[in-house]
Amino acid sequence: MIQIFHVTKHYDRRPALTDVNLQIGKGEFVLLMGPSGAGKTTLLKLLYCATSLDEGQILIQGRNVARLKPAAVPFLRRTMGVVFQDFKLLPKKSVYENVALPLLVQGLSTFETRRKVMEALKAVGVDHRKESRPAMLSAGEQQRVCIARSIVNSPIILLADEPTGNMDAALASEIVELFKTINARGTTVLVATHNRQVIEQVGRRVVTLDQGKVVSDEGKGL
Amino acid sequence: MRRLIHFLREALVNIRLNRTTTIIAVATTAFTLACFGVFLLLYLNLREMATSLQSDFKVVVYVKDGTPPTGLSELQGLLKSDPGVQALTYVSKEQALSDFRGQFPEESHLLEGLGENPLPASFIVTLAPSLRSPDGVRRWAERFKSKPGVEQVEYSRDWIDNLTTVVGYLELAAVGIGTVLSAASITIIASTIRLTLYARRDEIDIMGLIGATSGFIKIPYLIEGAMLGVMGSAVSLVMLKGGFELFKARLGMPGRFLGIESGVHFFSGQVAVLILVAGLVLGFVGSLVSVLDLGRAKS
Repeated sequence: MIQIFHVTKHYDRRPALTDVNLQIGKGEFVLLMGPSGAGKTTLLKLLYCATSLDEGQILIQGRNVARLKPAAVPFLRRTMGVVFQDFKLLPKKSVYENVALPLLVQGLSTFETRRKVMEALKAVGVDHRKESRPAMLSAGEQQRVCIARSIVNSPIILLADEPTGNMDAALASEIVELFKTINARGTTVLVATHNRQVIEQVGRRVVTLDQGKVVSDEGKGL
Repeated sequence: MRRLIHFLREALVNIRLNRTTTIIAVATTAFTLACFGVFLLLYLNLREMATSLQSDFKVVVYVKDGTPPTGLSELQGLLKSDPGVQALTYVSKEQALSDFRGQFPEESHLLEGLGENPLPASFIVTLAPSLRSPDGVRRWAERFKSKPGVEQVEYSRDWIDNLTTVVGYLELAAVGIGTVLSAASITIIASTIRLTLYARRDEIDIMGLIGATSGFIKIPYLIEGAMLGVMGSAVSLVMLKGGFELFKARLGMPGRFLGIESGVHFFSGQVAVLILVAGLVLGFVGSLVSVLDLGRAKS
């Protein structure tokens, strides 16, 4: 599903990732561990083409990300869902409109959009807030809306960058359960976190990054 | 269809969100287009006047006093058979006198002391369009001056030619001024759109991250620019119409007497639509400049 070969990335000559190699199979749940500045966010950004790599190759479903033309990037992004730590919800739009956006850009019919959005909102438990604006929601609810938006178009890969950051243990646990449910439906999930509780709760493969290098890869094949 | 509604709604949201900058952009575009509109009105009216004078242009062939009726018939035959003559009217001495008295009733006493009617008979000639150029008229007049029975061939071509020249210069100036003012409108609208893009930069980033294509992100901003342009040109038309009516009212009686009032016209429906389209195009181009900048900044 995701193949990363000898990937190196620098920011102003400072290495963010150095010779990273990683293989993630279809339907896997992988946790990316590491302290701040380890390169977790950079690795995720490379996967959803928010930044470009300096060396190496990344293949997603056999497509070489480094050779992708800019016009093809939106179509690759439509095959994956991304959950951000800061949610990245549009403040002027309702919860429903935020979740419907990925379907709108794909040109789905109103009927189909309504069906899928309600399904996603119900799956994360915020369907009762569909008319609200993001600012009226708690952090946990906003993160759920962000997750609903990331799964609404049934992506084959779900990437999440510190999805439980700044959340209390109970809320973080609920979010982790959501990811497990999504993974159980066959979606490949890659979560970047430094939260020990998340790692213990998931109990799956953990790849640890430190100073831009993979220092351990535990639980592969679980 | 759903996408189109989304694009239009986003454009309207942008306009509503940036109300102040929108008002400034529409007002400045309106003033800019109104400046050009005043010039265009002047140019179109003068051109119409020059064209109408060109088509009304007449040459007067004065007949020598004492020309016998046979000589008069020969001259008339000669004029009628000339391919350069489109229409011909004979004005007898008596007719000329009566016309003079009709036109200048207070000065008619000037001719009473002379006893004999001093006004000559004449042929009023409308030349074929191909001969209405300054050179054509001169050559035709030279040729007929020497014909038997002709006293003089008169035409007042110069001031019509001068007016045509002025209209020509106005045309050039209109192109120049139009270009400069169009550039100004484009710059104003481009700046407004740039402000919108800046205000919504986070939203633009998010749209990109969820898989929106570049076109999907940019189209609402292009529509917004086109809308600003149309609004600006519509306001400029209202301003121009108001100004035009005020000008006509100011002309009052003297204008009616000189025939200017009936000769000046506001833009026809077609020209008004063209001005609206011009506004739309300027707005679209202005927006395109900013949106292309956005693309370059992103890459």
